[in-house]
Amino acid sequence: MKKTWLKWSVYAAAGLIAAGCASYPDRATTQQLSEKMVFDAFDASPEHMKRLVQDRSQQICSKIGDEKLTQAEAAEVVKLARASIKYPASGKLVGDWKTGDKLAHNGAGDRIRNGKVENRKENGALCQNCHALAPGEINVGNVGPSLTGYGKQRGNSDAIAKYTYEKIYNAWVYFPCSNMPRLGATGHLTPEQITHMVAFMIDPQSPINK
Amino acid sequence: MEKMRSVCLAFSAVAFLAVAPPVMAQGNDLSVGRKMLVEDNPGELWIDQGKDLFYQKRGPKNASLEQCDFGMGPGKLEGAAARLPRYFPDTDRVEDMESRLLTCMTSLQGFERNALIKEAIGRPRTKGSDIEALALFVTSKSNGMKVNVTLSHQKEYDAYKAGEYIFYRRSGQTDFGCVQCHGEADKRIRLQDLLHMTNKAGAQEVASTWPAYRGAHYIVRTMQWRLNDCVWQMRLPDLKYGTDYSIALTTFLNHRGNDAVMNVPGFKR
Repeated sequence: MKKTWLKWSVYAAAGLIAAGCASYPDRATTQQLSEKMVFDAFDASPEHMKRLVQDRSQQICSKIGDEKLTQAEAAEVVKLARASIKYPASGKLVGDWKTGDKLAHNGAGDRIRNGKVENRKENGALCQNCHALAPGEINVGNVGPSLTGYGKQRGNSDAIAKYTYEKIYNAWVYFPCSNMPRLGATGHLTPEQITHMVAFMIDPQSPINK
Repeated sequence: MEKMRSVCLAFSAVAFLAVAPPVMAQGNDLSVGRKMLVEDNPGELWIDQGKDLFYQKRGPKNASLEQCDFGMGPGKLEGAAARLPRYFPDTDRVEDMESRLLTCMTSLQGFERNALIKEAIGRPRTKGSDIEALALFVTSKSNGMKVNVTLSHQKEYDAYKAGEYIFYRRSGQTDFGCVQCHGEADKRIRLQDLLHMTNKAGAQEVASTWPAYRGAHYIVRTMQWRLNDCVWQMRLPDLKYGTDYSIALTTFLNHRGNDAVMNVPGFKR
């Protein structure tokens, strides 16, 4: 009799603790809850909902707080980035710097409002948002490093052109999980547009090298 | 007269912004200008508008919002906003200011939820939506009090962790999560300062300054609008109003912004 009483007390105490001790969910639960929230939160066509689906690299690169990228993960991101790069059909990596200049100062393209994608001839390259460009240019961001004098410092050899092309096409080849969008790999820019960006970066006549 | 004066100030503030020479960006001159604007914030006008809406009998049920419970009991507004988002047993859900207003306006006043949501984000250069004014009025009742978002219900813990997860979640063609722009100090998109939200002071600014007067729109905006505009720039689809996604992000940021002193309306560019 006494034992039964004791047993039930223990059960009751355990129940109370379970009910009263809410706590942070574990990682797997958090992920499950959050992913559901993401896909419930947007009003979009199936085509536009695809923008919320993470590719493997994005999954790896979404480290929370102080979590660090492991060496194996970084290697995987680099490998995927390397495989993503496509070169222009012409094989020519250096386009027209004047076109590149305009694109660098264009932050528009592919934004969705009320279910409609903004009507633009092409996407901007977004550079000005985050990078200092021509010397003395004030209306530029600083989320990324300054590009002022980029070509002046590095020259315009074929090797630099190729590096620059790849860096813009998929920055994660060289800096896995950096903040920079993989502009070519995600389809934001076309290979041809990227050749104009390369020219803007390395052509001695480009304002950023003046 | 007082209103006229504020309207004039609003116009001169905007004129000031428009003609400010680019050189202002250098050094601290721009922040001095911004500080001057905050001191005569035209958003104050929306507080009275919200107050009127709050006490008027409105909607199909011809009721005021006086019985709305923002977490401190029906009609108790003082300090309530400083504790949002929080869990509400009646909806079995964590709610922020905007979603709680939706709950009360539908249950107490009989408004239709979808109709409210359709109007929830007002057009620039108008008097804005009812929810924007109401959110400001109710939040202003916490001015001078400390942000105190506690986690005790399991769903509050879940919302906090989900908000954190979403803050770092990268997707879409820009590969952006929130942290790409808001994870470091002293960063800007073009000339626009970005809050450093992984830092306590940055989170405190988020938690204590919404709803805010948005200079470029001549209107008071809520946190939900801010999130909508962020995801638009991130190239994500249209964010629905008052979803768990927004509430989770707000729970994450506001909890980390605890102990900030509430001061609304904020003033944003």
